Amino acid sequence: MQVPTRVSRARAVFESSPTPMKFGFLTWPPIGAGVRTGLLAGGLVFALLVFAAFETVNAQQKINKRYPGGKNVRVELRNISGTIVVESWNKDEIRLTATIESKNAQVVPKQVNDCLMIDVVSDNRGRTDIGDINFKLTVPVSSSVDLETRSGNINVSNIRSGLVRAYVSSEGDIELSNISATQVIAKNVTGDIFFDGEFSSGGTYEFKSNKGNITIRIPGNSAFRLVASSPARRIALNDFWNNNFKNQDGRKMVGDVGDGRSSVSVMNFSGQITFMRR
Amino acid sequence: MNCETCQELIHDLIDGSISRSDESILNTHLNDCLDCTSVRQDLASIIGFCRTRRGEYEAPPNEHALWLRIRNVIEAEMGGRTVAQTERRPSFLGRLMGHSWELSLPQLTAAAVAIVLLVSLTTVVGLRRWQTAVPVATAGVVNTSADLNDRFAQRQQAISYWNQRVELNKTRWSAEMREVFDRNMRVIEQTVATSLEELKKNPHDEISEQMLNESLNDKLALLKEFSDL
Repeated sequence: MQVPTRVSRARAVFESSPTPMKFGFLTWPPIGAGVRTGLLAGGLVFALLVFAAFETVNAQQKINKRYPGGKNVRVELRNISGTIVVESWNKDEIRLTATIESKNAQVVPKQVNDCLMIDVVSDNRGRTDIGDINFKLTVPVSSSVDLETRSGNINVSNIRSGLVRAYVSSEGDIELSNISATQVIAKNVTGDIFFDGEFSSGGTYEFKSNKGNITIRIPGNSAFRLVASSPARRIALNDFWNNNFKNQDGRKMVGDVGDGRSSVSVMNFSGQITFMRR
Repeated sequence: MNCETCQELIHDLIDGSISRSDESILNTHLNDCLDCTSVRQDLASIIGFCRTRRGEYEAPPNEHALWLRIRNVIEAEMGGRTVAQTERRPSFLGRLMGHSWELSLPQLTAAAVAIVLLVSLTTVVGLRRWQTAVPVATAGVVNTSADLNDRFAQRQQAISYWNQRVELNKTRWSAEMREVFDRNMRVIEQTVATSLEELKKNPHDEISEQMLNESLNDKLALLKEFSDL
C-alpha cells in the first residue's frame, strides 16, 4: 500500500478543489484561513528579524585610522569590554581598527609624540550600555604595548620591545605569541594565559591568574630565576626542572634555571602552571 | 661648727637675737677662727657706723634709678668674669688631647685587663639577650597572627568602601557586565575563603598568607576597576 506523502496530499486537495486560489502568476491550493494567518504572521516575524539584523549591522561603527610614529612607539589602550588584537608590521606607523557595537560608545584616540592613547573608560564616562568594542592594532615591531580591559580576550603577537602588558580585570584569555620584551605582565582573574617567546637578560616577567591555566613556552636555553606559586599544587616545570629548586610542599617552587639572569614570577590560584620548551 | 654656719650666726649676734647655746658655740668658734672674727668685726663696725650716723645722709634723688645702675654694674662685672672664666677654661677634648699619656707597665696591664673584661661582659650579655630573644620571637608569631587579623580588617574596610561605590554604579551596567563582575568576584572570594581556611589550619603558613594578600589585592583591584564604570 502506498503511503500518501505531503506532496501527494497537497496535489489531491489542489485537484479536488473547485476554485483554486490564484495570486498573480502563482496558483495556490485552497487552504484554510488559520493556515493563511499563520503563514502571514511567520512572514512578518521573519521580516522583522531581517530588519533587526540589518539595523544591528547599521548600528555598529567602524573606525579605521592610521597614525605616524617612529620605530619605538608606545600604545596604551584601556578598554571596557571586547577583544584586543595587536600585531606588528615593518612600517613606522600604527593602524587602528575598531568595531564598536553600540552607537552610544565613543572612541577618541589621542597621539602625543610617540605614544598613542585610547582610553575607552574615560571617553565613555557616564554612558550606559557601551557594549563590546573590538580593537585591532598593527604597530611597529619594537613598540611598547600596554593593554587593559575589564573583560575580553587579548592577543599580542610578534613584538620585540621594552614592555608588553596585558591586563584583564575580570575574565578573558591572554595570548602573547612570539614576544621578546624586557618586561612582560599578563594578569587576569578568569581565563587562560599563554606566553610564547623569550626571556631577555635582566628582564622581568609576571604571570598571574585566579582561575585558568598558565602556559609558558620558551627556548630550552632560557636563563631565569623562577618563583612559581600554586596553592592547588599544579606546577609542571618539565624540562626546566632541576634539583636546585626549592620545593615548598608542591605549592611554591623557587629556583634558578641557567644563570637566572631574568626574573620570572608565576602565580595561579586554581589552574595549572606549565613550562614548555619552545 | 663650720665658718658658714658661724657667719650666719654672726648676723643674729649683732642683731641680738641669738640664743644662749648658739652664742656659746659661736664664741668658741670665734676664739679659734681668725677669718670669722674679722667678719664679725667688719659687720659690727658697719652697723655701728650706720647707727651713729643715722639721719645724717640724704636719700638719692631717684632711688630706683640708682639701684638699677648698681645692678647693671654688678651684672656687667659678673658677665665679664664668666666670659673670662670660659676663656680660661679649656674644653674637655682639649684637656684630653693635651694630656700626656705616659703609662707605666702595670697601668698598661691593668688597662688591657679592663678592656678584656669589658669585651667579655658585653659578649655574655649579648648572648644572653639573643637567647632570650627566641621566646620573644615565638611570642611574635602570636603578634603576627594579630597583625594579620588587623591587616585583614583594614583591607576589608577598603574593600567595603569600594564595594559601596560599585553598588551605586552597578544599576547603570548592562546585565552582561553585572554577570561578569559577579562571576569574577565569586572566583576571588573563593580564593580568599580557601586561603583563610588554610590559615586557620596552619596560622604560620607563609604561602597561604601570601595568597590571601594577593587575592585581597585582586578583589580590591576588581572593585576599583569596575567602580570606574
